[in-house]
Amino acid sequence: MPERRVTPGRLRLRLTIAFILVAGLSAAALAAGSYLVVRENRLADSVERALDQSRFNLVLAGEVVGEGGIRGVVEALQRRGEFTTVASSGGDAFSSSLSIGQGDVPGELAGLVARGDLGHQRVTLRGAPYLVAGGRVPESELDVYFFFDEQELQDELDQLRTILLVGVALVALLAGIVGWILARRTLAPVARASEAARSLAEGLLETRIPVERADEFGAWAASFNEMADALQGKIVALSQAQSRERRFTSDVAHELRTPVTALVAEASLLAEQLESLPPDARRPAELLVADVGRLRVLVADLMEISRLDAGAEPARLEPVDLGALVSAVIRDRGADGQIRVDEEPVILESDRRRLERILGNLVGNALEHGGGEAAIRIVAKDGSAVVEVSDRGPGIPAEHLPHVFERFYKADPSRTSAGSGLGLAIARENACLLGGDLEAASEDGQGTRFTLRLPVTRSLHAGHGPDERPDDDAERPSEGGSR
Amino acid sequence: MDERVLLVEDDASIREVTTLGLERAGFRVTTAADGREGLARFRAAPPDLVVLDVMLPELDGLEVCREIRRESRVPILMLSAKADTVDVVVGLELGADDYVTKPFELPELVARVRAALRRASTDVPGTEVVSIGGLEIDPDGFRVLKDGREIALTATEFRLLLELASRPRQVFTRELLLERVWNYEYLGDSRLVDAAVQRLRAKIEDDPKEPKLLLTVRGVGYRVAAG
Repeated sequence: MPERRVTPGRLRLRLTIAFILVAGLSAAALAAGSYLVVRENRLADSVERALDQSRFNLVLAGEVVGEGGIRGVVEALQRRGEFTTVASSGGDAFSSSLSIGQGDVPGELAGLVARGDLGHQRVTLRGAPYLVAGGRVPESELDVYFFFDEQELQDELDQLRTILLVGVALVALLAGIVGWILARRTLAPVARASEAARSLAEGLLETRIPVERADEFGAWAASFNEMADALQGKIVALSQAQSRERRFTSDVAHELRTPVTALVAEASLLAEQLESLPPDARRPAELLVADVGRLRVLVADLMEISRLDAGAEPARLEPVDLGALVSAVIRDRGADGQIRVDEEPVILESDRRRLERILGNLVGNALEHGGGEAAIRIVAKDGSAVVEVSDRGPGIPAEHLPHVFERFYKADPSRTSAGSGLGLAIARENACLLGGDLEAASEDGQGTRFTLRLPVTRSLHAGHGPDERPDDDAERPSEGGSR
Repeated sequence: MDERVLLVEDDASIREVTTLGLERAGFRVTTAADGREGLARFRAAPPDLVVLDVMLPELDGLEVCREIRRESRVPILMLSAKADTVDVVVGLELGADDYVTKPFELPELVARVRAALRRASTDVPGTEVVSIGGLEIDPDGFRVLKDGREIALTATEFRLLLELASRPRQVFTRELLLERVWNYEYLGDSRLVDAAVQRLRAKIEDDPKEPKLLLTVRGVGYRVAAG
């Protein structure tokens, strides 16, 4: 099953960001709108006041100009304060301030004033904002400009902008916090459900979700629980049926054991006496002996498969010389010289008796179906030991090949064979128990090859001696075991 | 050849046919149908060998094995339905010499009985006394002395010790010991060796948990410490 890991909290983050965006953008639009309106009004007010004053000043200047000339005009007006006055007439100019002079009057405004209009323009002088209003004194050549300092207005507007910006930021932050908490509360049931589904998948069938709220999530939790109930019921029923079936197999095998033991012993006694039986009785007795042999194999296999199902017996590891074991298995079958063995020396840590069962089955198959030609190859490959048992028999048809390791599977139901139909199933289960596997490859008419793969790795919990004592100065055995 | 065999088996058919087979092979057979009767017959007329079913009514086969071992060195052959379970191991640790799995063919049983009796016969090759680490092994007298006192070993234990001690420092694989001591030509159960070594250690070592004489050679087999 491919593991698809999703980082939790992605949806929560997305929801929070959405909250921040919606609240922050609304607040920003509102703030920007109000700022612009206020700014427009304040600036327009400022212009209006400046123009009113300028008009008045110009009238006043018209009265003063005859007495004091330009200088007199500037001094008279300057007494009114609040602005800086610059007056010019022809080439002559005079300013009430040292820092602002004729040169600071923007040319555009000067042109407007020269045409006799009352004008205004905003300028920045040395970093300070000014509103300049100017006009010609009636019936004279005298142009007078008033520089109104707008620094204070600008400061006010800046302050307003700062307050609005901070406000927008606060709103966004608040929206973020509220969004996070809301998303968490809303999504908590989803997180719980995902946890529950995972623990259900891991086999904790009693996992349920508490139905806390009467909303969509509550309904969903109830449905989830119904599903879990149904699943648990099905699985419990299934495993009960399976264990009933296994117990039945085991009981049958055990009940059969005693009569079969008697039968096998009786048949072996009878087998010694076949020669002395009257001809009429001899053939039936021969058949009886052979059939008892088949029954013996079937019961032994049934018992072994029920032991494998019970899983009660762990593998007992000890060093095994694979080549020697293969030779012993062949000799045990009375097939010395009938099978060609091509071996690399391989010693592995494994369960000797189980290996013997697997190899015995494969050798038996090769002898029975191999068409008289069988070969075994033992090689060590990438930390595994590989035993290939191949024959030149009729092979297994492709449609049967995937099923040969199934219990009681027989490629040809009409063909009677000495096997129980359990041999390969047992062999494969034993191979798996030893940490290896067993595969079959076959081509019709070309023979069959079984490949047994086993781990060579030495295990630390090899239980082959009652008292384990490392013994470094040990000599290798001078005689090579039972070969 | 008229060695006496005591057969303890609860199933009447198996008991009868096994008796028949053993008698045909030349043994004199006494039978018992349960553990208590088996023990009584054993005490009434000690046989040369006991064939003992593991699952018995009245008194369990393992219990009978333990009782017999307490008073005798007679070879014991267990009949077990379950070769792969702890029953076999427990039986061997209690002192059984060998086991045969049910169902069995009679020639197979007879061969195992003969092999066990051969081990028990005092006819041992070599008469030289072998001395090793405070032990004196006397093949002629079929006995072992430890610091001058005789130790009660079963025939299988005695032959296993003699085999190992006859060539000290040589490492014996379990397969080789099965062949030499138990007479299994191939495919014997190496648990026989392990259980017998354990029993031997309990009898001859000062501390069976820290063996000084009978050493395990990891991944290979066993040897006796030289000296």
